[in-house]
Amino acid sequence: MRKLSARASQQTWTSVSNRKPPSVGSILRTSLLIFLTLIVLIPVAWFMLSSFKDLTDLSARPPKLLPTRWATENYTEAFKMYDYVRYFSNSVIVTVVATALTLLVNSMAAFGFAKYNFRGRDGLFVLTLAMIMIPLQVILIPIYLVVSSLGMVNTYWGMIIPAAATPTGVFVIRQYMLTIPDELIESARIDGAGEFKIYARIVMPLARPALAVVAIFSVLWRWNDFLWPLLIAQDERLYTLPVALALLNGQLVVPYPVVLAMSVMSIIPVLLIFIFMQRQLIQGIAHTGLK
Amino acid sequence: MMVSPSNVTKRRRSTFTWRRRLVPYVFIAPNLFIFLTFIIWPALRGIYISFFDSMDGSQFTYVGTANYKAIFNDPTVATIARNTAIYVVFYMLISTLLSLTFAIIINQQKFARGFFRSIVFLPVMLSPIVVGLIWNDVLDRKVGPLNTLLEAIGGGSPGWLVEPKLGMISAIFVGVWVHLGFYTIILLAGLQGIDSSIFEAATMDGATRWQITRRITLPLLKPTTLIIVILSTIHGFQSFDFIYTLTGGGPLGATTLIVQYIYERAFQSPIQYGLGSAAGVILFLIIFAFTALNFLVGKRREAI
Repeated sequence: MRKLSARASQQTWTSVSNRKPPSVGSILRTSLLIFLTLIVLIPVAWFMLSSFKDLTDLSARPPKLLPTRWATENYTEAFKMYDYVRYFSNSVIVTVVATALTLLVNSMAAFGFAKYNFRGRDGLFVLTLAMIMIPLQVILIPIYLVVSSLGMVNTYWGMIIPAAATPTGVFVIRQYMLTIPDELIESARIDGAGEFKIYARIVMPLARPALAVVAIFSVLWRWNDFLWPLLIAQDERLYTLPVALALLNGQLVVPYPVVLAMSVMSIIPVLLIFIFMQRQLIQGIAHTGLK
Repeated sequence: MMVSPSNVTKRRRSTFTWRRRLVPYVFIAPNLFIFLTFIIWPALRGIYISFFDSMDGSQFTYVGTANYKAIFNDPTVATIARNTAIYVVFYMLISTLLSLTFAIIINQQKFARGFFRSIVFLPVMLSPIVVGLIWNDVLDRKVGPLNTLLEAIGGGSPGWLVEPKLGMISAIFVGVWVHLGFYTIILLAGLQGIDSSIFEAATMDGATRWQITRRITLPLLKPTTLIIVILSTIHGFQSFDFIYTLTGGGPLGATTLIVQYIYERAFQSPIQYGLGSAAGVILFLIIFAFTALNFLVGKRREAI
């Protein structure tokens, strides 16, 4: 609206030519944004080019922009000498199962809070939201001790379950479920549908937009998560990608070019999500402040 | 004959309503169970452990408030607290100022606005571990592109990651680089929420763009800006992951922040669960204060 009317008023005043020369402000603005674009893209591009350089190129002074020889062996060695496939599949397993579990427990809780009246509902809902105030970093040691006393250190479940319930997920899905009319549920009840069937067959399909937002954020967060898998996956066979990258990077025996190649491969799924789903992501953040 | 059937239906109905009353609890139970086991119970246990010495993780002996006293008297902790304070203050200030600037600029931008919005958002998606590696590569003293550029224009070759002061500056810069898009998107949403007729009226009254930004946009954006201040403060206190691969807490401990300290108490010899838990409790109190502030601001925002 604002854009349209602004343009209309401009056109009334500049009657001769339709194209006005760009104002100083807009030139400044665009150059600042181009500067920002360079600061974001150049490091990422440089890093990607580095992953194709061999050690000689990587230590060349002055550094070369393009590799003298495209060292694709950095990538093949990641598969041959190091367990890239294992780290990648660990990340996939944790991300997929954790997201499925998060969607299940969060949506169930959201349904309970949105569609039932019961004693203690408001108190329990506030308790759920209050969990935002206790980030992992704060309870790092006691939660590690709890998980370890449950025998869950060095297990997939240890990486998946403890963070599967999220306050923001419950909140986002609940808010959406509140907009689903109660009459729909009532009429299903009259038709003899059980409560779980109402949740699974009626409410869940209708809540799909909210579930999608929570799913995307859960995937991103789990894929990039470092601190929690670092604590739980102490056995190399359970390393997720971020843990493997961080720990291999510190080891002298692991060639740096291979670490670079693994890093580049690890961000490809995220870049795909970025390209295809950034609208949903940006709207998700805009509406919920969720990260 | 007449009484018993009605009795039966009554009883059936009462078990039916009893079961129906249980239904919502069944739905919230799994989520609540995870919270209880993996957040609430550890949080309480953390407070408890903070009064014990873990004797290298083998057994716990009660030491009263000795851990807290140690934290407040230990010069290493004082350095870490100072690092954290410097990091949080500058991270928060720069994040807030830059996200405000870019949100306003992107909102005014007509040419390629969607593209620039995506670009500012890109780093938010990347794994912080990879971000640390990326900037470790770019900021390398000898073979990094930044110093090559600086040398070419006669700027010397600063040791971005090897000199303590520059290490902190680099950590703050990379921290801002990672999260800036997140704050910018929230502010852009805030800007979209402002009634556009206000801008139209101001334009008609002959206000310049700068006047509009200063006198209208910024005041109306104040509630969202406050949320950014609080969020970035909380995120600042939680920083750990990208620093791990950027500087590893160095040079000479110059970028070791509180979370790394807590982590090392649990996984580096000597293991000091009690000391780390006490630091966790203190970190909680700080984050709690800011979240409470967030809540108050949020309430005020609803009132507006």
